Amino acid sequence: MGRGCAIALALVLFFLAIAIGEDDRVSDLLRRQAGSKDGIIELDDTGIRHLAASANRPYALLVFFDAHHLRERSGLKLDELRGEFSLLARSYIKNNAGGSGESKIFFCALEFQRAQASFAMFGVNALPHARFLAPGSGPLNASESMMELNDMVRSAEGMAAYVESKIRHKVGAIDRPPLVSRNQLLLVAAAAIVAAPYVLKKLLIEGKDTPFHNSKLWCVGALLVYFFSVAGGMHNIIRKMPLFMPDRNDPSKIVAFYQGSGMQLGAEGFAVGFLYTVVGLVVAFITHVLVRIKNKTTHRAILLVGMGVCFLAVRWVVALDHWKTGYEIHGYLPRGWL
Amino acid sequence: MERGKKIGSTGVGGGALVSGSGKRAFGTVLAALILCLIGIMAFSIRLFSVIKYESVIHEFDPYFNYRVTKYLTKAGIYEFWNWFDDRTWYPLGRVIGGTVYPGLTITAGTMWWILNAFNIPLSVETVCVFTAPIFSSFAAWATYLLTSEVKGRGAGLTAAALLAMVPSYISRSVAGSYDNEAVAIFALIFTFYLYVKTLNTGSLFYATLNALAYFYMVCSWGGYTFIINLIPMHVLLCIVTGRYSSRLYIAYAPLVILGTLLAALVPVVGFNAVMTSEHFASFLVFVIIHVAALAHYIKRVLSPKQYSTAVSFVITFGMYEPAALIAILAAMVAASPTKGWSGRSLSLLDPTYASKYIPIIASVSEHQPPTWPSYFMDINVLAFLVPAGIIACFLPLSDSSSFVVLYLVTSVYFSGVMVRLMLVLAPAACVLSGIALSEAFAVLTRSIKYQDLSEASLLAAVDSTATLNSTNENEASVKEVKDKAPKRGKKKTVEKEVEKKRKRLLGLPMEASAVGILLLIIMGSFYVVHCVWAAAEAYSAPSIVLTSQTPDGGLHVFDDFREAYAWLNHNTGEDDKVASWWDYGYQTTAMANRTVIVDNNTWNNTHIATVGTAMSSPERQAWEIFQSLDVKYVFVIFGGLVGYPSDDINKFLWMVRIGGGVFPHIREPDYLRDGHYRIDSQATPTMLNCLMYKLSYYRFAEADGKGYDRVRRTEIGKKYFKLNYFEEVFTTQHWMVRIYKLKPPRNLVSAVKSKKRFL
Repeated sequence: MGRGCAIALALVLFFLAIAIGEDDRVSDLLRRQAGSKDGIIELDDTGIRHLAASANRPYALLVFFDAHHLRERSGLKLDELRGEFSLLARSYIKNNAGGSGESKIFFCALEFQRAQASFAMFGVNALPHARFLAPGSGPLNASESMMELNDMVRSAEGMAAYVESKIRHKVGAIDRPPLVSRNQLLLVAAAAIVAAPYVLKKLLIEGKDTPFHNSKLWCVGALLVYFFSVAGGMHNIIRKMPLFMPDRNDPSKIVAFYQGSGMQLGAEGFAVGFLYTVVGLVVAFITHVLVRIKNKTTHRAILLVGMGVCFLAVRWVVALDHWKTGYEIHGYLPRGWL
Repeated sequence: MERGKKIGSTGVGGGALVSGSGKRAFGTVLAALILCLIGIMAFSIRLFSVIKYESVIHEFDPYFNYRVTKYLTKAGIYEFWNWFDDRTWYPLGRVIGGTVYPGLTITAGTMWWILNAFNIPLSVETVCVFTAPIFSSFAAWATYLLTSEVKGRGAGLTAAALLAMVPSYISRSVAGSYDNEAVAIFALIFTFYLYVKTLNTGSLFYATLNALAYFYMVCSWGGYTFIINLIPMHVLLCIVTGRYSSRLYIAYAPLVILGTLLAALVPVVGFNAVMTSEHFASFLVFVIIHVAALAHYIKRVLSPKQYSTAVSFVITFGMYEPAALIAILAAMVAASPTKGWSGRSLSLLDPTYASKYIPIIASVSEHQPPTWPSYFMDINVLAFLVPAGIIACFLPLSDSSSFVVLYLVTSVYFSGVMVRLMLVLAPAACVLSGIALSEAFAVLTRSIKYQDLSEASLLAAVDSTATLNSTNENEASVKEVKDKAPKRGKKKTVEKEVEKKRKRLLGLPMEASAVGILLLIIMGSFYVVHCVWAAAEAYSAPSIVLTSQTPDGGLHVFDDFREAYAWLNHNTGEDDKVASWWDYGYQTTAMANRTVIVDNNTWNNTHIATVGTAMSSPERQAWEIFQSLDVKYVFVIFGGLVGYPSDDINKFLWMVRIGGGVFPHIREPDYLRDGHYRIDSQATPTMLNCLMYKLSYYRFAEADGKGYDRVRRTEIGKKYFKLNYFEEVFTTQHWMVRIYKLKPPRNLVSAVKSKKRFL
C-alpha cells in the first residue's frame, strides 16, 4: 500500500515536473513573443531544438526559413513574404490574446547564418520555405508538414487559412495596416483644406488660366491613359510582369516578346501600345495640322512619311498578333475568285 | 476643322453646288438609307450561329433567361414579379422576381406579345434567339444619334457602321446569346445620347427621356453603375474647367432625382440606389452643382469687384462646413468593412485588390486583365484610330465632345483591368474612331474635290457652304458660338467666317490624298474581314452543340447535352431531383424541366459545397448526402472518350476546394500526388475512390479496351470496379453525359423481423 502510494506520488510529481517544464517553455515563448517587434520569435539552432524537440509539447510552431543574404534577390520576394508572415503573427496574437488560442501556436523564424544545422535537419535547400510543426510530434526531421508558399498562400490571408486548417482554431481578421497611415492622411487632409481656398478662388474668380482650363493638358492625359491601357499596362501591374525575360535556352539573350495570348511581357506591351497610338497621332496630325501648312512640297513629304509609318505600324501589329495568337484570319471570298 | 466636318457631311449629302434645301433633303434620305443598311448588317452579321449551327439558345445563363421569359409569357407580369421558383436550389428555392434584372425578359416578352397580337405565331425561343441581333441594330442607330450629336452626321454614320460589326460587341450579341448585355449596350448608348442631347439643347423634355432611358438601363444590367458614375464625373469636370451652364444643370439634376427614384423601383436594386457607395458620387456632385449654380447666380447679380470680395469672404469663413461634411462622409464610408464598395467595384479602383483578396473573382477568366492582342481581337483597327478621335474631340472642345472623351478614357482604363469590360469600351472606341475616320475622309476628299478650283470659285463655294452652315443640323456648335461670341455686327461675323473657311479650305496634294484614301479604305476592308471572321469563327459556337471537322472534310456534330436533357425529361418523374455540378443547373431546369440542387446563380456557397463534398466523397458517403437531399439522379459530364476538355474531371479540383472550404474533412492534398493532379495509376486512393472518378470512368475500359483518357492523355488508374450505391441508367452517344440513378435504400425487412422476434 505504502509502496503504491509512493509510486503514485512519484508519478504525480514526475508529470507535474514535466508540466512545469512545459509551462516554463510556454511562458518563455510568450515572453519572447511579447519582446519581438513583429510578433515573430527569432530562433537559432539551440533555441529550436530546445523548443521543438520534446515529444509532448502542447503548442504548434510555424517556422519561416529566412536568409539575410538572399533578401536582395527580388525574384524570391523574401521580404514581402516575411512581411505577410509577420502580419499573420501579429493578427493572431492580437485576436487571441488572453483566449484559449493564446499559446496554441507560435510563429518563429530561422535565419540561415544562425541556424545552418536546423536548415540541414529539416532538409531545406530552397527558399521561400515554411514548416508547420504540429503539437506533440516527435523528433524533428525533414518530414514535418510543409506549407506550400505558392500563389494562394503568399498573402497573410492565405497563410491564415492554412493555419486554421492545421490547428483548428480561428486566426481572426488579418489586421492589415492601411496603405496611408492615419497621420499621413491627416496631413493630406490639412494640405487640401489649406490649398482649397486658393484653388477655389482661382477657379471661381479668375476661371481661366489654371492647369484645369488647359485643354492641351487634358488631351495629353487622355492619350497617355489610352496608351497605357491598350499596352496592357494594367496586366503588367496586376501580374507583376517583368519588362524582359531571360531566354530559357540561352540565358545571355533576352526575350522581349512572349508567344501565347494569355500573357505578355512589359516591353512587348509598351511597344505595341506605342504602335497603336502612333498611327492615330499621325492621322490626327495630317487631318488637323498639315492642312494648315501652305507648302505643297512639305505636304507631299510629310504625307509620304506619315502614310508609310502608319502602313508599317499596322502591318507590324497584324504580323505580331498573328505570330502571338496563331489565329488565321481570312476573308470569305466566293470560290470562283480564288 | 469645323469646315472639314461640314463639308464631310455634305460630302455624304452630295455635290456642294446643289441648292441648299434640296441637298439637305437628299442627304437626309441617303443617311436614312445608309442607316437602314447598317441595321440590316448589324442584324445579319450575328446570324452565323444560326446558319452554322441552328436556332438555339447558347451557353448557360441564357437558358435561365429563356426559362424566365417563358414563365413571363405564360403567367403574366404579376405572377412573374412574385415568382418563387421551387425547381432550383432544392430544398431552398429561389425568389426569381426580386433577384433578376428584369429588363431583358420583359423586353423579349413584350416583343413576343406584340408579335402574337399581330397573329405572327413565333415561339418564345425564336424571339429570345433573335433579341440580341435586333438590339444590335438599335445600338448601331443609337450610336449614330450620339455621334452626330457630338460631331455631325458624317461621323455618326461612320461610327454606326463601325459599331454594327465591332467584334467585342458581337461576342455578346450573336443570335442565341440571350443575356443581359444584349439589350444593355443599346440602353447604355441611348442613355448617353439623351444626356448629350439634353446637354446641347437644355431641354427638360430630353432630360426626362434621359431618366427613363437610365431606368431601362437599370432594369437591364448591373453595369448601370458605370453610367451613374460617369455622368457625375463629366458634370464635375465641366464645373472644374469652367464650363458650367444652365444646360448642364438641366442635363444632370433631373437625372439624379428621377433616375434614383426610378432605379429604386427595380427590386434587385431597391435601396442600394441610395445606400451603396457606387451611387454616392452622383449625390456629391448633385450638391456641388447646386453650389456652382448659386455661385454663378451671385456672379451675375454682383459686380465683378463685389463678387471677388464675396468669394474671398465665403472661402475664408465658409470652408468649415464643407470640410465637416466631407469628414462625415469619409467617416461613414470608412466605417463599413469594404468601405461601402462591392468587391468587383473595388477591384476596378484598385486593380490588384481582386488578385490579393478575392480569389473567386480573380479566378474567373473574364475578370482577367487583357493583354494587347485582346484589343486587336476585340476592337481591331479601331485601336489605331481612337487617338485621332481623341484629338479631334479637343479641336474644338465642347461639352459633348468632352463627354465622349471621358467615356473613352474611363472605359479603356476599366477594360485594362477586366477583359469583360471591353464590351463597354467598344461603343466609345467606335464613336471616336468614327469621328477620326470621317474627319480624315473629309480632309482627303475635300483636297481632291477643290484641287483645281480658282480662288474666286473657291470663295463662292465657301460662301454657299457658309450660308448652309448657319442652318446646319449641328446645333451643338451653333449653341456654343451663341454662348460664347458677344453680339457683333452680322456682316462682320460672316466676313470673318468666310476668311476663316477660306484658310481652312486649303487642302493637300491630290495624288497623296488619293493614296491616303486608298489606305483608309484598305484599313476599313481589313476591319470588315476581321469582324466577319470573328463573328463566323470565334464567337458563334453555342457550346450546347459542338462540332468537329472529320478527316474527310465533313462536319461531325456532338449533340450529347440535349440528348441527355431530353432523356431526363422523358424518362424521369416530374418531381425527381437531379444533382450535377452547378454549371449545368440552368440548362437542366430549362431543358429537362427537373428540379436541381444548385445552379449558376451561385448565391448559396454551403449548398454548392455540399454537392462538391458529395462528388469528392467515396460512394457510400456520397449516396448518403444525395439521399439526404432527396436526389434521385446524378449526372456527370465526361470528355475522356471524345476529348472534350471542359468536363467535370477537369473542374473537379474546384469541387474539392469549394467542398473543403465548408467541410474540412475534404482536403485538397488528399487528391494530389506530390502537388500534381492525376488520374492514372499514380493517383491517390482518395482520388480513385471518390464518386466523381467512379461516375466518370465506370465501364470506361470496356468502351475502348484500354481505358485511355483523351483529355488527360493517359490511361486511367483504376479500370474495373463495380458501383454499389448507384446504377447507370443512361449514357449519351459520345459518353459526354452519364446519368446515374441512386439505388433505393437497403431493404429493411429482415431487420424488422429480427426486431419483432425480440419483442
